[in-house]
Amino acid sequence: MGSLETYKNAFKKLFELEDSSLDKLVYQGIPEWDSISHMELMTILEKEFSIEMDIDDIIDFSSFELGKSILAKYGVQF
Amino acid sequence: MLNDLQDVQGPFGVPEIMKYQQNRYPLLFVDEISEVIPGKFAKGKKAFSYNEWFFPAHFDGNPNVPGFVQIESLVQVFLMTFLTLDGNAGLQTSFVSLDAVKFKRKILPGDILSIHAELESFKRGVAKGSANSNVNGESAVSATFTIAIPEILAKFRPLDIN
Repeated sequence: MGSLETYKNAFKKLFELEDSSLDKLVYQGIPEWDSISHMELMTILEKEFSIEMDIDDIIDFSSFELGKSILAKYGVQF
Repeated sequence: MLNDLQDVQGPFGVPEIMKYQQNRYPLLFVDEISEVIPGKFAKGKKAFSYNEWFFPAHFDGNPNVPGFVQIESLVQVFLMTFLTLDGNAGLQTSFVSLDAVKFKRKILPGDILSIHAELESFKRGVAKGSANSNVNGESAVSATFTIAIPEILAKFRPLDIN
């Protein structure tokens, strides 16, 4: 499975979303993406990509799109 | 001073327990922590005397420990697994989720509930784990939990958009 698919699956499984909902997805844009599930999402992504994100990146990770550029800093290629 | 508590292994009683968690009478439901390894597990006990405030109401003529009290007892031992970690002592906690709750026996006046809580993970203010219990070796209530420390969680969340 490619990185993009892994990335999408993290959101889809956690928030029970379809592919079509992902591109415009933002933090608190749906009730399911709250502060608690945000930490769960970060933990899932760290595990999937074997990385550990800095606090600033976790705070900046406020949308599906932004998340891709943040993960790129850790060597995740989309 | 709180940093000095990091290596406490127990046993310790209510005064020490209250240094770590904010639960107080009439909602403090752990009497003793017999052993704790911060970040791993905690063992504790709650003795349900006939004088407990809830027995007259639950129920008249058939006193037994309410389910929410049983769960709180588990949780309050579980809290010790991560509130004993460096920097966490005394912080407020809040429930995120409670799952797989099983009540395996009625708990009656005079029973002593022995609780074993395990911490599965603690990261960025979110603790996950489980606890089981017994009365005289007979299985009692068990559950899994996710519990947050809002003060820590707040440091990691994106700025509110809405």
